Amino acid sequence: MNSPRRVLLVVALAALGGIATGCSRRTSEAPAPAATPVPAATTAAATPAPAAPAVPAPPMPYPVSIGRQVYRYYCMTCHGESGAGDGFNAFNLDPRPRDFSDPAFVKKSDAEVRDAIRRGGAGVGLSPLMPPWGRTLNDRQIDDLILYLKTLRRPPSG
Amino acid sequence: VPHGLRRLFAASSLLFLIVLAITPTKNYFRAYRSLQGKYRRLGMERAHSLKEAGEYSARPVAIRQIWLRDFDNRVDRCVTCHLGSADPLMQGAAEPFALHPGVAHAPADFDRIGCTSCHGGQGLATSEREAHGAGPDAGPPMTPVAYIESACGRCHSGVEVPEAPILSRGRSLMLRSGCFACHPARGQEGFVPDAPVLATLPLKTGAVWLKRWLSDPKSQDPNATMPNFQLAEADIEALSHYLFSQTPPAELAARIAAAGAEAPGDPAAGKKVFSESRCISCHTVEGKGNGSAPELSKVASAAGRGWLLAFVRDPHAFYPRTRMPRYHFTDAESRDLVAYLEDELRDFDAPKDQLEPLRVNQTLAENGQKLFRRFGCFSCHAVPGTGESEKFGPELDGIGDKRAASLDFGKRTDLPRTLPDWLAAKIAQPRSFAPGLRMPSFGFDADDTRAIVTALLSLGAQPVPPAYQHAVARAAAPVPAGPVGRVIDRYRCLSCHNIGDRGGDISTAPLTFEGSKVKREWLVDYLMLSYSIRPVLEERMPVFRMPREDATVLADAFASFYLDPAIPEDPFADRPPGDADPTEGQRLYTAFGCRGCHILGASGGYYGPPLTETAKRLRPGWVFTWLKGPQRWRADVRCPDYGLTDTDALRLTAYLETQRGDAAAPAPGARP
Repeated sequence: MNSPRRVLLVVALAALGGIATGCSRRTSEAPAPAATPVPAATTAAATPAPAAPAVPAPPMPYPVSIGRQVYRYYCMTCHGESGAGDGFNAFNLDPRPRDFSDPAFVKKSDAEVRDAIRRGGAGVGLSPLMPPWGRTLNDRQIDDLILYLKTLRRPPSG
Repeated sequence: VPHGLRRLFAASSLLFLIVLAITPTKNYFRAYRSLQGKYRRLGMERAHSLKEAGEYSARPVAIRQIWLRDFDNRVDRCVTCHLGSADPLMQGAAEPFALHPGVAHAPADFDRIGCTSCHGGQGLATSEREAHGAGPDAGPPMTPVAYIESACGRCHSGVEVPEAPILSRGRSLMLRSGCFACHPARGQEGFVPDAPVLATLPLKTGAVWLKRWLSDPKSQDPNATMPNFQLAEADIEALSHYLFSQTPPAELAARIAAAGAEAPGDPAAGKKVFSESRCISCHTVEGKGNGSAPELSKVASAAGRGWLLAFVRDPHAFYPRTRMPRYHFTDAESRDLVAYLEDELRDFDAPKDQLEPLRVNQTLAENGQKLFRRFGCFSCHAVPGTGESEKFGPELDGIGDKRAASLDFGKRTDLPRTLPDWLAAKIAQPRSFAPGLRMPSFGFDADDTRAIVTALLSLGAQPVPPAYQHAVARAAAPVPAGPVGRVIDRYRCLSCHNIGDRGGDISTAPLTFEGSKVKREWLVDYLMLSYSIRPVLEERMPVFRMPREDATVLADAFASFYLDPAIPEDPFADRPPGDADPTEGQRLYTAFGCRGCHILGASGGYYGPPLTETAKRLRPGWVFTWLKGPQRWRADVRCPDYGLTDTDALRLTAYLETQRGDAAAPAPGARP
């Protein structure tokens, strides 16, 4: 009687253990580096140090790159490529377009800048030559644009 | 019961308990639980009110998920860790809690499209390593953010996808580069490349030029869309013999011979014809110009005089699918034009025999014909007798869902084992993977490569559910047959202009509703002698030397058929008389700052078109409709929508109606 019982017990335990570990394999992802067997092929493939990717990661975050495109399409003609207010159409404008490194501009909050872009110069008591963009650009484009404007700040010169 | 058995029972019970405890213990120490605690504390710090803070503190620790019923009942548990993705208070928070950047569909449509639909990765997993697909045996990895616009293309099938500029660029580059001439793909079955027909090549150019071209097309023309096949010297030789062995059509050969025998024209007069014809609206000269057609600074060293002359007189006889219009040059004008090309637009360093034809060796020509098939030249250049063009490249559908493990990296042990890196290297150095590969190299720069990889990654194996498919409806063919169609075809209006959803994008002015926009009399005059409407643009309407009959046919067709029923014939009908008050409009013109972009009177910017002749050119109903929302005309119009009331828009229209291009018109700012 003894030996079959013992065998049964061992088998049952082994089976339970198997189920428990099997389940945890499938559902949990706790890293168990020593215990997890890594397929040999994958290890081999991973060994050569990965070279620099053929396409370098974009130098600016995605929303900023979208903001840059919006800027270059809608704003650059007047505000200039570097944001100095010296676009090719700027000479027609009096007052001159805003220089984004202007200290008076730098200290404005995002909300103020957003408001000026949306409602235009006339909407915020400035020159009407800055048009209102709130119906042409959507909120996301304006938010991305504001992120990009911040990258156009030149360090204050001595 | 024997003592031994008791001990065994105790030991095995203990083992049993330990085994049972493994999973709950592991679960307790999982990273997301402590992250959820951190998020709770962060939320309480950032909360604006006690009530808000209370809401954060009451959040239970639990697996959170988005159930995507439309996507095979998939479940995305990313929000278990990315807890602030839709929480405005988490603007600028550190990952994984940051608010999702504002892009189309996010965060508004999270419940509908989830996370993995755009970002890839493993939605079910709740550890970073598995969810992001970084583990060696995890499922497909996440899409790198550099290529994230590929996700837009899974649902949006058009070429131009709004708010996805990289994807749109990639798709248009693929069309322009002729990828679908060799690679089959859904929706591109009818793709026809517009490569030149090579039949008259033996009468056009010489062996020296042809061999230079075959060894690297871009070295001869930076605008070339033909890729570099990296041919060996011997292959170039054989292909040249084959191409020179063709017999040009007798009719064209006769035209070329006759044109070559004509007396030379006057280069100075030709220079004027060249600039009036606005050749650089499509071509470039030393890089200046649009660049969708060949660079012309060395054209007279690439093609002989007879061929050039016969070609500019009737390009469509040579290349039926060319985008070049057929101008109405007189014989003398075309002679002058070609004299100018020969005088100034040639390669002064070229060898004297550059345009000498090749003495054909029949054996080499036969080898060349085989190479012509082998390299797939005939996929783009249809040549009678080489067989039907055939798409022998691998199919591109589903390429965006290929597993990295299934890709053949061949000799490229230097590459990271990912699909985007493989694709980028395939495009940049297609022959570097193994010997004997046939894909040519297109010379794309890093930005273009990234755009094309994005477009390729958008080609999924499975279509998205129908409710998510966002196809661009194709309008019925908007160009009628008969005389109107013949005129539109002759001047190739669609090379630059849109009509409906067809046509090129060189011009900013679609012609779909041209009849509702411009006045018929103005259009006839303009077609016969066009001028610059938008002075800042390089690409301007050519002077076709269009005869009055053609101009009338076109203007009548536009006035009768190309109409937008939503644009009123008379916007002032049934409106109070004050709405037609030009003096009020004049005041508004100044108040809105229109002069920042437009010239009117003596001053103004020249970013937008000058408005001095508005009344001669534009119909008032169109001006009114434009002012009510310029983007209705075309989504990328830069003139901002001022949100004008009907009354203000009508008053401005009335003011602009006073601008007939004469001195009597009231200038803005002047006292009425």
